[in-house]
Amino acid sequence: MNSAEVRTDAFAWRSAVSILLFIALWEIAARIHVAPAILLPPFSIVAAQLWHSTLDGTLAADLSISLARAFCGLALATGGGVVLGLLMARNRTIEWLVDPLVALGFPSPKIAFIPIFILWFGIESLSKVLLVTFACVFPVIIGTYSAARAVSRQFIWSALSLGSNRFSLFLHVILPACYPRIFTTFRIVVPVGLITTFTAEMVAGGGGMGATLIYSQRFFESPTVFAYIVVMLAVGLVVDAVMRRFQNRFLRWAEG
Amino acid sequence: MTKADEFMSSARRGLVRVAPLILFGLIWHIICATGLVNKDFLPAPGAVAAALADLFKGGEITKNLTITLFRAAVGLVLGAACGIWIGVMMARSRHFREYVTPIVGGTYSLPKSALIPLFALWFGIGNVTAIAAVFLACLLPMIVNTYHGVVTTPKVLVWSAEALGTGERELWPRIFIRNALPDIFTGLRIALGFSFVLAISAEMIASTNGIGKLIFMYGENGNYDYMFAGIACMVIVAFLADRVLVILTKRLLVWHESAVTEPETRRR
Repeated sequence: MNSAEVRTDAFAWRSAVSILLFIALWEIAARIHVAPAILLPPFSIVAAQLWHSTLDGTLAADLSISLARAFCGLALATGGGVVLGLLMARNRTIEWLVDPLVALGFPSPKIAFIPIFILWFGIESLSKVLLVTFACVFPVIIGTYSAARAVSRQFIWSALSLGSNRFSLFLHVILPACYPRIFTTFRIVVPVGLITTFTAEMVAGGGGMGATLIYSQRFFESPTVFAYIVVMLAVGLVVDAVMRRFQNRFLRWAEG
Repeated sequence: MTKADEFMSSARRGLVRVAPLILFGLIWHIICATGLVNKDFLPAPGAVAAALADLFKGGEITKNLTITLFRAAVGLVLGAACGIWIGVMMARSRHFREYVTPIVGGTYSLPKSALIPLFALWFGIGNVTAIAAVFLACLLPMIVNTYHGVVTTPKVLVWSAEALGTGERELWPRIFIRNALPDIFTGLRIALGFSFVLAISAEMIASTNGIGKLIFMYGENGNYDYMFAGIACMVIVAFLADRVLVILTKRLLVWHESAVTEPETRRR
């Protein structure tokens, strides 16, 4: 075993200790009634509740609703944002037109717009999907725009002199050159999409993880509240791990 | 170029930049004036402006905005202070880093607004819940960015300082923290955005006041021009806060190359 492996071993070991210690402290604190059980249920009861929700299918139903909303919104935001970003980078009029809107929209707290989305698109899924789109589209526009501006002129000139038209220049030269940057932006935007979905469900109801979480809190079903928070944490971790793996596998060429 | 010329050219540039927004407002006005959409669906810009003026006159905006900004600011300041401290500690001590990393990694991907119901359970409805949510949301980007900034300090800088007789204690404020400053400000900008989002979310979910509650209340009661006015006000405040932070960052980091190169890459 070389020293690097020893280091990662020790690291994994300490990480595991740290997490187990956290869970043990939680369990003990709850068992000796540091706080009433309604405020801090023991970990074992939360785990049992999690198992129960998994078996009776409520968790799967809520999770699939939330994930479908989040990823529909993310898909729309990525599609729209990439197209707008590319157009902005290549066309001065569009840049002039869209740039101030992006500058104003990017730092604004998008969750404040939720009453407008409810008013326009109802309280069901559509308003949430579009709110997610709205929340995620600005970083995608900015990321794609700056990536497309940074594409080497040589590539563009070569493609043009070899006879490619505007459309195939976009499709075969500029867009592929932007892929790594677009993916990095996508990785930033996915948590934003998840947060926006969960928050929108908490505020507006209409099913999903957030809605069930807030109902459980109102009826003081603390084990369910904790179980759902644990699931949301796990979702965030899994999604990020999947994306990191994808990035390592398919976008290796961008590193060098 | 004289001072007056300079002012004129920058004013013209500003006008060119704002023109699309004015155009956007005009289109909005025309859509409303022609009755293309229901007035309840989309109040005219004039009506929204009147509602905004009314809200200012009645003091609703100033009162609730102060509450929201107070919650966001307290959470942001506490989160930034603790975040910088934890980030520095992680870079300083290997043991601390190895025990803390999994907890930071786990909470980093947790949607922080999911904790609002839990905080509401613990701390009740009001200031503490909102501040705790903002604090936690601001803490994570500050930790990650501070740590990154300290760890990427070039060895050359450390060696030079040591060769010139800087002691271990002096090294931290003079070399490591200073090298991390651009990253810390990047984290601060992210945290600033989070602070508004979390303060408003917390107010919508568990509060009786604040601008988030105000917006939501007008929406539920059907006072849509007032609802739009509240949202417009929040957008403007968030935009201004972000601008102020960017300008401040540029002022404070004049010595750093990031302050010089940024505008050139934008205007190519």
